Amino acid sequence: MIQRVTGTSVQRVEDPRILTGRGRYVDDVALPGMLHAAFVRSPHAHARLRSIDVAAARSYPGVHLVLTDSELREHAGDMTANGSAGLFVATYSALARDVVRMVGEPVAIVVAESRNVAEDAAALVRVEYELLAAVVDMDDAMDDASPVLYPEHGSNVIYRSEHRYGDTATAFAGAAHVVRERFLQHRQTNAPMECRGIVVDHSPGTQAMEIHTSHQSPHAVRFTLAMILRQPMHLLRVRCGDIGGSFGQKGGINREDVAVCASARLLGRPVKWIEDRAENLAVAGQAREERLDVEAAIDADGRVLAVRVRMVMDTGAYPQLGFPASGYTNVVRSLFPAAYRLEHYDFDAVAVATNKATYVPYRGPWEAETWVRERLFDVLARAAGIDPVEFRLRNLWADDELPRQSVTGVELIKFSQRETLLRAAAYVGYDTFRAEQASARSRGVHLGIGFCNFIEPAPFFPSLIKAIGFMAAPRTPQEAQLRVEPDGTLSLFTSQMPHGQGHETTLAQLVADEVGVERSSVRVVAGDTGVTPFNFVGTGGSRAATLASGATIGVARQVRDRILRLAADMWEIDPADLDLVDGNIIAKGVPSRKLSMAAVGVLAHTRPGLANSDGSLGIEEHHAYISGEATWSQSTHCCVVEVDVETGQVRIVRYVVVEDCGRMINPAIVDGQVRGGVAQGIAGVLFERAAYGPDGGFLSASFHDYLLPTANDIPHIEVIHRESDPDDDVPFRGVGEGGAIGAPAALTNAIEDALAPFGVTIRDQHLPPHRIVELCGAIVSEVGESRFHQGA
Amino acid sequence: MSGSVTRVDVRLTVNGRDRAATVDVRRTLAELLREDLALTGTHIGCEHGVCGSCTVLVDGASARSCLTLAARVDGCAVVTIEGLADDASGGLSTLQQACIEQHSFQCGFCTPGILIVATELLADNPQPSEEEVREAISGNLCRCTGYDSIVAGILHAAERGS
Repeated sequence: MIQRVTGTSVQRVEDPRILTGRGRYVDDVALPGMLHAAFVRSPHAHARLRSIDVAAARSYPGVHLVLTDSELREHAGDMTANGSAGLFVATYSALARDVVRMVGEPVAIVVAESRNVAEDAAALVRVEYELLAAVVDMDDAMDDASPVLYPEHGSNVIYRSEHRYGDTATAFAGAAHVVRERFLQHRQTNAPMECRGIVVDHSPGTQAMEIHTSHQSPHAVRFTLAMILRQPMHLLRVRCGDIGGSFGQKGGINREDVAVCASARLLGRPVKWIEDRAENLAVAGQAREERLDVEAAIDADGRVLAVRVRMVMDTGAYPQLGFPASGYTNVVRSLFPAAYRLEHYDFDAVAVATNKATYVPYRGPWEAETWVRERLFDVLARAAGIDPVEFRLRNLWADDELPRQSVTGVELIKFSQRETLLRAAAYVGYDTFRAEQASARSRGVHLGIGFCNFIEPAPFFPSLIKAIGFMAAPRTPQEAQLRVEPDGTLSLFTSQMPHGQGHETTLAQLVADEVGVERSSVRVVAGDTGVTPFNFVGTGGSRAATLASGATIGVARQVRDRILRLAADMWEIDPADLDLVDGNIIAKGVPSRKLSMAAVGVLAHTRPGLANSDGSLGIEEHHAYISGEATWSQSTHCCVVEVDVETGQVRIVRYVVVEDCGRMINPAIVDGQVRGGVAQGIAGVLFERAAYGPDGGFLSASFHDYLLPTANDIPHIEVIHRESDPDDDVPFRGVGEGGAIGAPAALTNAIEDALAPFGVTIRDQHLPPHRIVELCGAIVSEVGESRFHQGA
Repeated sequence: MSGSVTRVDVRLTVNGRDRAATVDVRRTLAELLREDLALTGTHIGCEHGVCGSCTVLVDGASARSCLTLAARVDGCAVVTIEGLADDASGGLSTLQQACIEQHSFQCGFCTPGILIVATELLADNPQPSEEEVREAISGNLCRCTGYDSIVAGILHAAERGS
């Protein structure tokens, strides 16, 4: 490849439209005759449906259709999710049947002339509920005396697993220190700025259905909706335009989508549903709620001998189509040892169903492995009386011990974790920090520092998938298709569905360099199942940097070869003597021999036999690419905080990320991904919590209650790149998840360090001001543990 | 509802053009812009005045169009994201160009509101400090960027003189 734009922060192709208000998001789709949908939703966490009276809503002026399950079931099948060994996966209807299991569960759909009228009429639907006791937390769920969400399963425990590696019993017996802790991660939600939405355009004549939606995986939407609606796939076309963020939330098949599609078919008119924020916060999916009990043994030198983990995951009420619950626990299990020397390891997992919103993937869905490990390591370092950086260095695999397999069977390569850690420590001035900290403490100022190391599979690879034990979406090659248009411009078709990541820019950078044309002559086409290559997964799992790039580079090389061969045939010259530079084919050493891409386009489409020996016209290639083993990204995060122990305010003084994602296609886009992820990780610790009352009532259904951080809350995030050069044709690794994986550990470690004079151990990831004050002992919490002021 | 006024006539200028519409009294300015006037650049992110995506200028001052009734802007001058581009200089304002150069935005959903408040800020205070920029956009939520790149874009525009 002649590197010209790859590796540079070229401006984004997406930006001129986005910055002038000319993007096209799903709510911007307006079709002739379009009607609007609203949903009647359960106000109760757990209740039996005794009756639903829709008469007043149906006769309300402007209402076209009201459906409950009893009608919808004639037009749509039930929904379920991917299965996995030992996992109970509930089957459920799009609109509630017999029982509601979470606040906000859709009970009826109302379709009307306008959204206002639909909402007015929805308020007239009378539903009689017989309240059932709600199962609201994981301990309740595991209690045999609690009500059961799914009597057909007979228990709220939907998955249980036990894994043993090495011999933890012997390792524990020989330990110098043993530490036991319970770490709790609270419920959070993705909260993309654009809520979910769908516009269904059904043609009564042909029965074809064009579905505009905001989704990470348009082909999965098409496949799954066709199945549920019992329609042949050839009738469905799914189109996504610009997407206002997702972070994992827009990856499942929504119950609302099924009801809207069925309504559009019944009415023979386009129907639009745009989720409002209260719906998004309550029902679009929540994440992260996991508790890990850990027990760790170390020797006198601070070497970790063995770890036992027992994980409980609260999956909420319904399975999300996409990633099964057991997927999360098994990814956490497989990745927990990371780049550290750990040879004796037990991991038990339990997943439970509760009367809360469905658990969905949220940026770095397995983040608990990093948070708990790096939190635990600070606790262990303290127990051993060893500096936390030194503790990590002692436990990382040495370079001469790599490559090898981790204890869970995951391929480990030579890592740069030692280097990223030392660089981060040097960059923040760790050697002088402890003296500054002591001096600040003497003035009553509480500074703290926290580190976090992690390696991120970006994308997932065979030994990891084997360790996990299953893969929700089959590990299939990523495909790209590249066409020379008759005017010589290039169209790249990808199965990626970018939603902020800038793939229209980065993939075009790769094509431009590989083919030898200007970037502006390449257009990236995504999000239209009518033209893009099939893949169950669009954009997600930090897969694009490696997989989409591999497919794109491969197809670009094929097209370049075809173009050169065309010129070579025409000129009766060896293709090896030709070059393609800046959109022109030139014969080396013969300056007069020159052919523009515009001429190539015309020739390829007008002279049968020139482009293709079978006489067909045009130049168009497909390429499938699958990446190999150990495609790791890696980072060290370091956070310095100042904690006001009177008000509980945490000020982030420095936030440093030293990251290594291999080579970068567009460094500014990499920085943006890292910083955005860090911001979400910080937000989860200091602000956000999807809160439920003891009756399962949802308490954070607005941005007044579910707090997102502002520009005043997120500090400047310093990103340092270490560009290793993976020995690979495709040297790029993903960075989508990493920021969010590293930040909770770095920040909570820093806060614990700042509060060391209070003897605080942080076990609960959510640390809003009142919790900080409680931890310092100024307030004795009714629910949390109380701590007494031990003097500064 | 019988006997009460349910529809009202609204006349206003939007991005310098005279516009008129007859709307439900409960129609919001955001709905008027997006649905009646087909200006979909203004985004609705929360409908309760927190996220700021729907922010527009009403008589030069930023306002949440999701909480502003259309009837209230009768006689007002409204500027939306579609009105920020300076057609004389090739379609992008200095602020827009600066934000493109700094990779300020990712998904683009919060963008209209932030560009509007940044335009207001730079009109009032052409050389803001970083702190002033952060304060000015602190009523607007962005979920993608962590704000650094947005702050950089606005400061870059200030350097250039927008």
